[in-house]
Amino acid sequence: MHELTIAQNVIDSVLSEVEKNGATKVLVIEISIGELMQFDKDAFVYSLSILLNGPVLGSAKLEVKIENAVFVCRKCSRSWGMDETRKQLRQVENGLLIKEPDGMEVPLHFLPQLYSTFVHCPDCGSSDILLKDSESVRIAKLIVE
Amino acid sequence: MKMEHRTSYAVDAARKRLDQIGAVILVGSGKGGVGKSMISSAIALTLSSQGRRTGLLDIDLHGASIPEYLDLKPPLRSGENGLEPKRLGKLRVMSIAFFAGDNPVPVRGVEKEDLIAHLMALTNWGELDYLIVDLPPGMGDELLSAFSLFAHKCRLLLVTTPSKYSFNVVSLMCKLAARERVPLAGVVLNMSYMLIGRRRTYPLGRVDRSLLEKAIGARLVTEVPLEPRINQRRFQEVLKGNSELTKAIRDLTKTLLKA
Repeated sequence: MHELTIAQNVIDSVLSEVEKNGATKVLVIEISIGELMQFDKDAFVYSLSILLNGPVLGSAKLEVKIENAVFVCRKCSRSWGMDETRKQLRQVENGLLIKEPDGMEVPLHFLPQLYSTFVHCPDCGSSDILLKDSESVRIAKLIVE
Repeated sequence: MKMEHRTSYAVDAARKRLDQIGAVILVGSGKGGVGKSMISSAIALTLSSQGRRTGLLDIDLHGASIPEYLDLKPPLRSGENGLEPKRLGKLRVMSIAFFAGDNPVPVRGVEKEDLIAHLMALTNWGELDYLIVDLPPGMGDELLSAFSLFAHKCRLLLVTTPSKYSFNVVSLMCKLAARERVPLAGVVLNMSYMLIGRRRTYPLGRVDRSLLEKAIGARLVTEVPLEPRINQRRFQEVLKGNSELTKAIRDLTKTLLKA
């Protein structure tokens, strides 16, 4: 459900860029999604493809990339990826799981910027950590004419 | 034409939500502990009880206290048009605490801006007459993000206590608002006095109106009393009836509606 809402928001944002730049046609849309969001990529691409129609968007080439989550601890310099993070996310209290029509999601599915609330360094336990690259959904490249 | 600036959709989506909102009132101070969240909650509850479609957004990322005031708890629910705000009667409320629960939120720098835009964008506010935004202490990322995101639709209501140390910080916020061209709704003097029987006492010192206005650089709109019952009862119960606090908040709301 969240994927559909985000797809609509992304297309709105693309159309707003098109209007701002006085363009008439979108040629390429590249979207990056942070792995931390645990997005259903297929559902997202399907939702986008339904929305890509009409003279402005109809011939746009779409590319959606999942960016690997790499965390670095600012305290002890340890780095780690999503596998170790998943273990920590399984410990998110039940009371914080967000109810969707088709199941439950961790808060980071909606607000990945909150990663340091739920993820900590597997070695020293610090929350002073950094997530390299994008944590959320971004329009990485947009080519219009 | 090629654009490669890694745009987040969230700011556009947040502005789309704002299109459905009549006016935004930012409640801030710069100083901590002056009662911003109490004033925000009280204004929101009062507007809502008067039949105005009202939302309350808590962007005090590191110390969200709106859910405590209003006794609202996670979990959130997601629907067709985004995340459903928590409801208290007809009042719609969103806070970072509904995501983080009792866990700390150690977020840095620009991530805060992204977080606030996403929080605004994700929430299915629907059509609102008023959105009250509870700001955190300080004049950093959250405040600048709020000024930028809500520009053209917002007014800033300042909150201070009778302390001259508070005046100093609040005056800095007043100057910053002027630089950023955010209109002021005035200043609230919170914890101004206490009612003992029918007599007003001034436990934090009596403040001269013109001195306060001069020191801060804003018009005093209301004096709000210190109300110890806030710590003992549910906030919405304290606000009911005809207490000094209730009257002060009604006056404040009336002034906000006139402007």
